[in-house]
Amino acid sequence: MTEQPDPSDTPHAGLDWEESGLPVEQVRSLFVTLGKAFRAYQLYDENNPVRQRFVDTLRGEFSALWMELDELVVTLDEDHIFLDGSEVYFSESRNDSLAFLFFKDGVREVTFLQGVETHELDQLLGVLQRARKLSPEGDDLLTVLWEAELTYFRYKYVDLLAEGVALPEAGPGNSSAELQAALEAEDQEIDEQASRAEAGQEQETPLTVRQDDFNPTLYALDPREMETLREELQKELRRDTRADVLKALFDRLEEPENRERQSEILVILETLLPNFLSRGGLMAATNVLRELQRLEGLPGIFDETRLSASRAILDRISAPDAIEELIAALYNGTIRASPTQLGAFLRFLRGGALAPLLRESETVEHKELQAVLRKAVQGIANENRSAVVELLSQDDPVIAAAAARLAGQIQVTEAGPALVRLLRHEDPAVRLAAIEAATTLKASVVAGALESSLEDSEREVRIAAARALGELRYSPAQKKLAELVRSRQLRVADVSEKVAVFEAYGMSAQEAGVPLLDELLNRKGLLGKRESSEIRAAAALGLGRIATPEARASLERATQDDDPVVRANVNRALRHED
Amino acid sequence: MSDAQPNYQELGRKLLTAIFGALSALRLYPVENETVQHALSELHELVTAIVDVEGSAEVRVVGDFFFLNETRLRLDLSNFATFGSFARALTTHGIGAVEIVRGVERSEWAPFLSMLLRPAAEDLPFEGFHERFEQAPVRHIEVRPSTDVEGPEDDEEALTAAKRTYAQSVKVAADVMGDMRLGRAVNVRKVKRAVQGIVDQVLSNESSMVTMTTLRDFDEYTFTHSVNVSIFSVIIGQRLGLDRAQLYELGLGALFHDVGKQRLDSEVINKPGSLTDDEWAQLKEHPAEGMLLLFGMHGFADVPYRQMLMAYEHHMKIDLTGYPPNRRDREPTLFSRIVAVADAFDAGTSVRSYQYEPWPPDAVLQEMRDNPKRGFDRLLVKVLITATGVYPVGTLVILDTHELAVVSKVNADPDLLHRPVVRVISDPVGLPLSEPKTIDLAQSDPATGRAVHQIIKTTDPQKYGIRVSDYLLA
Repeated sequence: MTEQPDPSDTPHAGLDWEESGLPVEQVRSLFVTLGKAFRAYQLYDENNPVRQRFVDTLRGEFSALWMELDELVVTLDEDHIFLDGSEVYFSESRNDSLAFLFFKDGVREVTFLQGVETHELDQLLGVLQRARKLSPEGDDLLTVLWEAELTYFRYKYVDLLAEGVALPEAGPGNSSAELQAALEAEDQEIDEQASRAEAGQEQETPLTVRQDDFNPTLYALDPREMETLREELQKELRRDTRADVLKALFDRLEEPENRERQSEILVILETLLPNFLSRGGLMAATNVLRELQRLEGLPGIFDETRLSASRAILDRISAPDAIEELIAALYNGTIRASPTQLGAFLRFLRGGALAPLLRESETVEHKELQAVLRKAVQGIANENRSAVVELLSQDDPVIAAAAARLAGQIQVTEAGPALVRLLRHEDPAVRLAAIEAATTLKASVVAGALESSLEDSEREVRIAAARALGELRYSPAQKKLAELVRSRQLRVADVSEKVAVFEAYGMSAQEAGVPLLDELLNRKGLLGKRESSEIRAAAALGLGRIATPEARASLERATQDDDPVVRANVNRALRHED
Repeated sequence: MSDAQPNYQELGRKLLTAIFGALSALRLYPVENETVQHALSELHELVTAIVDVEGSAEVRVVGDFFFLNETRLRLDLSNFATFGSFARALTTHGIGAVEIVRGVERSEWAPFLSMLLRPAAEDLPFEGFHERFEQAPVRHIEVRPSTDVEGPEDDEEALTAAKRTYAQSVKVAADVMGDMRLGRAVNVRKVKRAVQGIVDQVLSNESSMVTMTTLRDFDEYTFTHSVNVSIFSVIIGQRLGLDRAQLYELGLGALFHDVGKQRLDSEVINKPGSLTDDEWAQLKEHPAEGMLLLFGMHGFADVPYRQMLMAYEHHMKIDLTGYPPNRRDREPTLFSRIVAVADAFDAGTSVRSYQYEPWPPDAVLQEMRDNPKRGFDRLLVKVLITATGVYPVGTLVILDTHELAVVSKVNADPDLLHRPVVRVISDPVGLPLSEPKTIDLAQSDPATGRAVHQIIKTTDPQKYGIRVSDYLLA
């Protein structure tokens, strides 16, 4: 309840509590506890036991106080709280002062009623806490208290904002001349109409009222109408007013005759987007982006300036910092969206979004989200191929590697030179990704550089390079591969590497490779010594990649070989040829 | 209130509805009729349920409000007619409170309610009722006189509070519009306080705020109009059952509904006479401009979308043939339609730069309700009429006694919307009264049942330079 205090009330001089019969010491203690509870509200969150303890103590003190009082009424000045003139609270520091918190917004008297501790204490403390943090242009304690609608806490205040406002007063009224003139004029009007009616002139709406003719159904609502209005109210409260406002903004945005307003609306839309996203309104944000893109495509709607401003919005929402915020919002639950909804939003993003999305699509563990991000990334990349090439130069190896794979997937052939550079990247994952892209792109410029990758320090990279050269059937590499096939280095490598190199040699050399492979498979050296089972088996598999009769003949000569490993791989190679 | 305590709002509404139902049945049928008996059983069951828990049930009427065991019952569309009718039944006999105590029997209801239906004693109605009541076989129902009814002092206090709220609100409206015109930051806190004040005042004493709307200051029309639209909107909202927070949202949007005019050339807004096509086209931009202006207001917890829609849609009409034009599907919000009704009513009854002769309020209401081309939500117009009455506060009327009078208060009973309370301002020959006189036109002659006084004509006070607020604010 809010009331204006009686101006004649003034705090009395401090009365002895025994004289007044009021439990001053008890109230003092209560306000000390209230101050502590309020401070605990500022420092600790809801579940903190320290805060809970202070609040429980406060509840206890209120309960005990109601044995002595029916209600607690206190007055305030800037720094003090008084109980019937006796000081019960003082704070030197206004920052923490309960008295000042109330006083500065006009409150001069507060009343706590029995039951406040049971029903509204947390709410009251929450209100005070909120009041402490209010911005100057927004609410104050009075507006916040009004919204809280507390039943067990009342206050009286002076409305500081209403000072100096003159109240309207009644005027002197009209003179008898004016009133008589009015009556005479009205009588004349009635008489004139009556005369016209008697003379049979056109029927007019009667000037006079017949109250017996009052039909309440014209004025009162019947039950059906009441029900209609109730339903309307429920519909209103469920309504998405944000969507309605957006429609209004876009309707007005489609008016090229008012360029200034178009600019203003574009600025508003740009401001609204982060507002929507911070409140989980992904679909509203998608709607904005969709409409902007649509309007950009309509002739005559935007001039160059407005078009540029609209594009800037899409660029801004695609900026790495904005995307990182979006990703954080997805993780912390601020935005909850289905894959479809997320995909619908992401498809409007521009090239600037690629880097953070790429990174996220590589590191996210949630499979469904990963799929959505990857699909979105591909879509954006298709529209922004040059951005993909730029990303190949990123310092972040995760992004560089992902960009390399992406370049292969969407056939960014212009990425070739950048991929060559990536073959020398310090991170083996990046080198691998570049090799993968080279294979997919079938880019000859990269293939040439792959030869040096055959001697990479990382086994995975060497194997991938060999396989890539084989897939590409890059014949210039056969000399290098032949050297490797003969090398000591390969003889100490593991089976996978051996096989990769031999098969690569077979695929790149083709017919020219048969003599060397046949020699390694079938020939016996001096003293009848042969190559190891692994080398001979790998040679067989290499021959299996050469589709010539000579290769086949070489394999058939080894089908009865004593070594079962060799025999098995010869048969495998023959099946591959078939 | 803990969960274990009864929900008095709901109980109270059910109780009053049951009493009204029983009264209506008794009015139409003899007591032994099945409909009457059913109504009495229902009533008795409800009362017993309350009394068994609480020990007693006290229904008190104070002014326009009902209390059930100290809980004030909220009015909305579904019950204001019922409440109003029952209130009349009590106040006719000068009864302010009815208390039912434990042990009440079903057989006590018929005699009690039947007595309420009888005409009141002309002099000392409560004493007359009480004397007969003592003879009736009713032992567990007590009645008390209406000592708590708002007397002249309460009315005066309410009027003072209303003046303060109104004056503050007009000042805030002027400050805000001025700041917006100059592109300065708006003090949102002041705006919130003003609207909260309007809501509080409408909830505690609606008629006092309606009285304030009769202040027609031509020079400050923009600001008083904004405040008046806010008041009427909140009044309509209250009838629809909006809670306090929702009324605040409505009042806030209503206060800002014309804020877009601050972006227009003031010469266009204040131009006397008709506008050219070009000027009219400019004026029609104010809803869109208003919506955009509200985006610039900071200090709200969230973007005030609902208020923006009220500014944007209040001239759109329910069939969307108004303005601004729409390219996308939409349906004006309920709040926008409420503001449209409130706006049109206040504008239609005011002197403006281009409207030197406003219509009388009753004519405005009729036009709004009956002319579909005006594009108002007909049901909301009817809701406004239930609040303003057929002859709204401030209407200048001529009585059958040839006295001039100003409507000062609406009759709460929906069957008596056409019989308000009036303040007589002149005697039959046009001389001002030495002592103010207030007449309740709902009063009937007990012998004939006919109204003691009647309105025979309404007229436009502006035509004769009669300042109705001079009489209402006195």
